[in-house]
Amino acid sequence: MSRSSGLRVGIFGVCLLVPFTSMAEPVTVLYDDQVIEVERTLADPNDLWVVPSDLPRVNGFELKPEGACLAELCVPVRQDRDSEMFVTRGGQGWFNVTALARKLEQAYVADHDHRVWSFGEIPVARNHFVKSAMAPDFTLPNRDGELVRLSDFRGKKVLIVTWASW
Amino acid sequence: MPGWQEVYEELKDQNFEIITVAQDTLGEEATAEWHNQTELTYTTLIDPTHRVSSLYNLVNVPSAVWVDEDGRIRRINEGTYSAAIPLGNNRFVGTDEYRPAVRDWVLNGEKSRYVWSRDQVAAKIRQRTPDEKIAESTFKLAVYFFQQGNEILARTYWKQAQDLFPDSWNFHRQDWHLTEGLGGPKYMEKRRALVDKPYYESLDLPDEP
Repeated sequence: MSRSSGLRVGIFGVCLLVPFTSMAEPVTVLYDDQVIEVERTLADPNDLWVVPSDLPRVNGFELKPEGACLAELCVPVRQDRDSEMFVTRGGQGWFNVTALARKLEQAYVADHDHRVWSFGEIPVARNHFVKSAMAPDFTLPNRDGELVRLSDFRGKKVLIVTWASW
Repeated sequence: MPGWQEVYEELKDQNFEIITVAQDTLGEEATAEWHNQTELTYTTLIDPTHRVSSLYNLVNVPSAVWVDEDGRIRRINEGTYSAAIPLGNNRFVGTDEYRPAVRDWVLNGEKSRYVWSRDQVAAKIRQRTPDEKIAESTFKLAVYFFQQGNEILARTYWKQAQDLFPDSWNFHRQDWHLTEGLGGPKYMEKRRALVDKPYYESLDLPDEP
């Protein structure tokens, strides 16, 4: 598998690994039970960079002038110069999904040979689940393949029981 | 499953639903035999990626969650069956005390002595260590490769997930079942190694008033 080399660049005394070349490298992202195919990424052996327009389907965030935002949470991101989180290559902006994950302490693992990145829950969003004790919604198929959402049953009491054949 | 159907028959007209979630990476192919034992009229869902356990921080099956009319969790993370199920040699799994607790909640709602406060629920939600969080992502990677037909890689990541999250019975048993055909012996070996550690989270049902 071909990988482009990274270039170490010092910015304000901080050593950052910034990808050197941009090229189309399709990857698969697993997040929130979705399998998301991303056509364009920046070649980087360590990090996952996507164009800002792909960000919402990759992790739910949206890149705004003030930063990367998910509901009320906004992580400041400078976009007028290169940083660990954002670079411009050939006029195209690229967002570092893995750097954001590290900042948010969101777990992730990657299979580099197959270019598959698997991201875990976002802790700030999950803290809300624990504190509020609200049931996280989910959508799953029934035996006929029809999708059913937990929130379809709002207004009723629901007993959820997990089980398995094994 | 027939046991939950009985509970459902009794309480379904009281604004109450039962949702069973079959967490099997093979999907209905693995669960049909069980689903077909009795006619089940409650909601039966299929969960190949263990999504519900992932969202609710559960580590074993069966596990129950109570959700009220407003979407609030009222009990969570308790290993339960619809009744005491005999295993032979005078041993049982589950308890006959659970069904009356469900009935009491369904009929009395907020006033039921079985419902937990928000703080009680928050305290009962299992917290994950950093390694366990990585394990969750690793397990999803394994399921992805399994579904892609790459069982060797699936096995590699399942093994990693188990090493990172030894307390997840879900991760161990799903893998043993699919890749080794050793569900039975491996399970007994790990279960014996628990010694005095509980296999299921305790039920914490209040004593009779």
